Amino acid sequence: MKISLNWLKNYVNFDVSPELLAEKLTNAGLEVESIEYLNKKYENFIIGKILKVDKHPNADKLTICKVDIGNKNINVVCGAPNVSENQFVVVGLPGAIVARNQHDIEAKPFTLKKTSIRGIESDGMICSEYELDLGEDKSGILVLENNGLKPGITLNEYLGLNDVVFEIGITPNRPDCLSHLGIAREISAIFHLKLKKPKLDLKESRELITFATKVFVDDLDKCPRYTARIIKDVEVKPSPKWLQNYLNAVGIRPINNIVDITNFVLMELGHPLHAFDYDKLKDNTIRVRVAKDGEHFITLDGKGRELKEGMLLICDAEKPVAIAGVMGGINSEITENTKNILLESAYFLPQSIRRTSKLLGLSTDASQRFERGADPNITKFAINRAAQLIQQVTNAKVLLGYIDIYPKPIQPKKINLDTDRVNSTLGTNLTYYPIKNLLKKIDIRLIKRNKSKMLFEIPTFRPDIEREIDLIEEIARLYGYDNIEIKMRSLIKFKEQPVYKDIDDEIRNYLVGRGFNEIITNSLMSKELAGLSKDDYVEILNPISRDMSAMRTSLIPSVLNVVRNNIYHQSKNLNLFEIGKVYFKDSSIAKGPNTIAGFREEKRLILAKTGISEYPHWSKQEFPSDIYDLKGEVEDLFVMFSLDKYKFISYTIDRTLTELTLYIMYQNVEFGYIGKVKKEILKLFDIEQNVFVADINLDILKSFVNYNRKYIPLPMYPMVIRDLAFIVDRAIPVEELLQTIKYSAGNLLKSVDLFDIYTGDRISADKKSCAFALQFQSEERTLTDEEVALIIDNIIKVMNDKHNATLRK
Amino acid sequence: MLEKIKEIEAKIEQDILNIKNSEDLENFRLKYLSRKGIISELYDSIKSISIEERPSIGKKINELKAYCQQVYAEKKKILEEFSEKKSEQIDLSLPGRRKWLGSLHPLTQTLKEIKLIFQRMGFDVADGPEIEEDYYNFEALNFPPEHPARDMQDTFFISDKVLLRTHTSPVQIRVMERTTPPVRVIIPGRVYRNEAISARSYCLFHQVEGLYVDTGVTFSELKGTLVSFAKQFFGSSLKYRFRPSFFPFTEPSAEMDITCFLCDGKGCRVCKQTGWLEILGCGMVDPNVYKYVGYDSEKYTGYAFGMGIERISMLRYGIDDIRILFDNDIRFLKQF
Repeated sequence: MKISLNWLKNYVNFDVSPELLAEKLTNAGLEVESIEYLNKKYENFIIGKILKVDKHPNADKLTICKVDIGNKNINVVCGAPNVSENQFVVVGLPGAIVARNQHDIEAKPFTLKKTSIRGIESDGMICSEYELDLGEDKSGILVLENNGLKPGITLNEYLGLNDVVFEIGITPNRPDCLSHLGIAREISAIFHLKLKKPKLDLKESRELITFATKVFVDDLDKCPRYTARIIKDVEVKPSPKWLQNYLNAVGIRPINNIVDITNFVLMELGHPLHAFDYDKLKDNTIRVRVAKDGEHFITLDGKGRELKEGMLLICDAEKPVAIAGVMGGINSEITENTKNILLESAYFLPQSIRRTSKLLGLSTDASQRFERGADPNITKFAINRAAQLIQQVTNAKVLLGYIDIYPKPIQPKKINLDTDRVNSTLGTNLTYYPIKNLLKKIDIRLIKRNKSKMLFEIPTFRPDIEREIDLIEEIARLYGYDNIEIKMRSLIKFKEQPVYKDIDDEIRNYLVGRGFNEIITNSLMSKELAGLSKDDYVEILNPISRDMSAMRTSLIPSVLNVVRNNIYHQSKNLNLFEIGKVYFKDSSIAKGPNTIAGFREEKRLILAKTGISEYPHWSKQEFPSDIYDLKGEVEDLFVMFSLDKYKFISYTIDRTLTELTLYIMYQNVEFGYIGKVKKEILKLFDIEQNVFVADINLDILKSFVNYNRKYIPLPMYPMVIRDLAFIVDRAIPVEELLQTIKYSAGNLLKSVDLFDIYTGDRISADKKSCAFALQFQSEERTLTDEEVALIIDNIIKVMNDKHNATLRK
Repeated sequence: MLEKIKEIEAKIEQDILNIKNSEDLENFRLKYLSRKGIISELYDSIKSISIEERPSIGKKINELKAYCQQVYAEKKKILEEFSEKKSEQIDLSLPGRRKWLGSLHPLTQTLKEIKLIFQRMGFDVADGPEIEEDYYNFEALNFPPEHPARDMQDTFFISDKVLLRTHTSPVQIRVMERTTPPVRVIIPGRVYRNEAISARSYCLFHQVEGLYVDTGVTFSELKGTLVSFAKQFFGSSLKYRFRPSFFPFTEPSAEMDITCFLCDGKGCRVCKQTGWLEILGCGMVDPNVYKYVGYDSEKYTGYAFGMGIERISMLRYGIDDIRILFDNDIRFLKQF
């Protein structure tokens, strides 16, 4: 909210720099987000009176003007055709920044210097309205109306711009600060100054209001108070300058004197008022009632509104004339022809106004104040203040008396406060006396005290203070958070649970060591991409855009997005990983300590590799990445977590997003897969190179991780190594050959590894040669050659029986 | 005779040091080890000494010969290796054999450090769902229905009562529901805001929430904890301030600012000329929250705090556009 420094000074007498004021307000919880000096734009511009105009001796079109600028006369060389004696004009003095250069195509600003024009010294420049950015006329200098102007006043003074405006972020709990008086109250508390409320001086006519109108409130829950006044014989016209200046300063566009005064009171006292054209109210009646479904209404902004059951309306004898607390209607608007007005100053139930404003999608200065909580007990003061100003500005006739429907007056709350509680919450040592004085500064008064127990009365403009803890906050705020000393109890209770092991972090560290770059991506995606999953995806009711209208069901599209963007920047060799969640609708999920019914969140790890396999080096050949790169990464990852019983199974049925897919199994649970992203999916991302991914369910992986590692004694007897190469049909998977070797070798075989595969001229075309390295070892003795030879014979025999494998010699 | 052997030994020692190339080496061999060399001559001269002395002298000569052969062989090996290297012409300026270099995302690095600091202070780590019930995200945190405070956090809705959490605070409720005090946890996690994406805001970000509830926990201690955190994270010389703010689930509420480390508090673009940087929000847990989780607010007090990992990372690394954190440009990632 914008707050004007000049305006504030009407209510509290302070003399501190705007910067200091901003700091103090911020420290009191009223965060000053920016300070704007309105006079910056017109520094060094002054109003002058042209005393004499002489021709320039060296130029036909120029004149030399003698200008009175208050404290002295100066000479200004001027080229304008409309210059003449006795004009009041705006003179820019050296140092002034002229907003627009009318001789420059781009109209750039420039700084004035004292110059000599064709041999004659010029002390300044007489400006056009275009140059001053006050209008578009550049045909000549701006001539001001001479209504009591004195030479020497600054342009800022003339335009009412000697002001500083603060942008203050008011938190939703402080409706009392949505006004100049409210901020002034805080300033008076901060600087220990007296708050001066505006003085009322209202002269009522003899005509009684009672005969002029009738007000009925049908819904007293939603409208606990309705106050009205009638003002006759108003003259609707532009507001006086002082009023326009105040409104302009806080960013409100002046409209006419009546509307401007209601806005002024809103910004002064924080209470929204509304003015109706009295003569347009059928039977001069006001009825406050709730809307019926389907009622139609045109608001002041010219928009048609469909009303919903329960919205509070202000009506006349037959039709709605305003949506209560939100916006008035076009049918009772104040216009130039308005003669008589009915002023409304009411208090509406916050929840009701908020609901209406939300349903209509219409938030106004008034609705924002009502929904945060206006002061029910200020309506009379506010309406009288407005009536007084209208009278002052238009000489109108204020009818005698006012209507005030307020059957159940809202009383100030009374709240108990225990000083012990204050200190045990804040860690302070405050006694009752400073507490009482702190609260008194913001009109919270002590009514009773019994030792540490105190009873306070809370003014109704502070709806946020409802409990003891709210008072404690006020005490802390006024005492100053920075004055609360740091006291640590150092009461760390030592734990008994085993140390928390963050497997995610272990995986991250491992993968970074393996050369993968971690990415963090958006978990929102388009429905089309989310829908590629076989499970139900989660849809957003109110998305920002179509691209982000669902929760992701796979990390693959996220990673492909990153791949695309990097390829675009010529980074084509990528090793990426992300640990992130995917989300599904899942009716099998029940409400639990960490779940909500019907939704499943899975934490997954994705690895992605594209481009060349290994970091390029002049000494070696480059190979493109393939699925074995990622298979190896996953195998090593499992070894690190001591998961040695994993299996890879390849099915012919492809996943939606990948082909050549290998499923990762552990104890018969499938918890991930490795594959090559399908061409048609890559196409969606304009990627032309192969991308390989491994996608692993981390929640399941975690459940398998075994931290109870036990030492296995190192072998005491030597190892025997044998290499065997078999020629087999190409179609036989190596995994089957490995299984057969293990099975036929018995438990003296410690390991078997494939170290070469050969296809080519030296063997028949449908065959391949697979070479294995076998390691034998006994824990009890040194193995003899004969023993090993027997095992080898058996392996060869079984391999031959089972796979028709022949030994390659 | 013995003296002569000693003399020859000393000579060998000296000669071997002077061998610079294969020619010298060959001369050495001819001089000592050839058939007409000095050692052969020694063997020949054995005949001239007495029979009694012969075995001991012969042994000495054998030792000398073995020694001479040994040093010759060593020298030969060194010279051979040297010449091999020379013939290969190794260019040591060629690039080494490198591997792909991995990296942790800057957000992960920031979070890791924050976690480390609070874990050392005795905080556990807790977690919760991102798709959350209105009850946990708002209601139990003292945001009543139809309350303007809900406007502070633009929300993505899944259904009427289900939403994407707007902060990590709902996990406070989940943790308190299943724990009796003392509770001392931090809660890192992803949160969502329905805001237009710009340099300053993204549709999601990450928070670390902290919660400590016990008997006798005070605002004063909250300050102490957070000041200690800020000094450990940003540097021990930093200045700070706490100023009043508003969060429905804490009372009193505060925001913590630290002096802008880019301009040293003089005012710059990053701190919007104020000299201060806001780093976190905090406060004493509101007694209304205890009602929802069944804690006795007469017995327990506690504090909570929350900070944005993106914001802290951006401040720390001087990043001025939040979106670059989610672009994952490899040229960006490799800087960390």
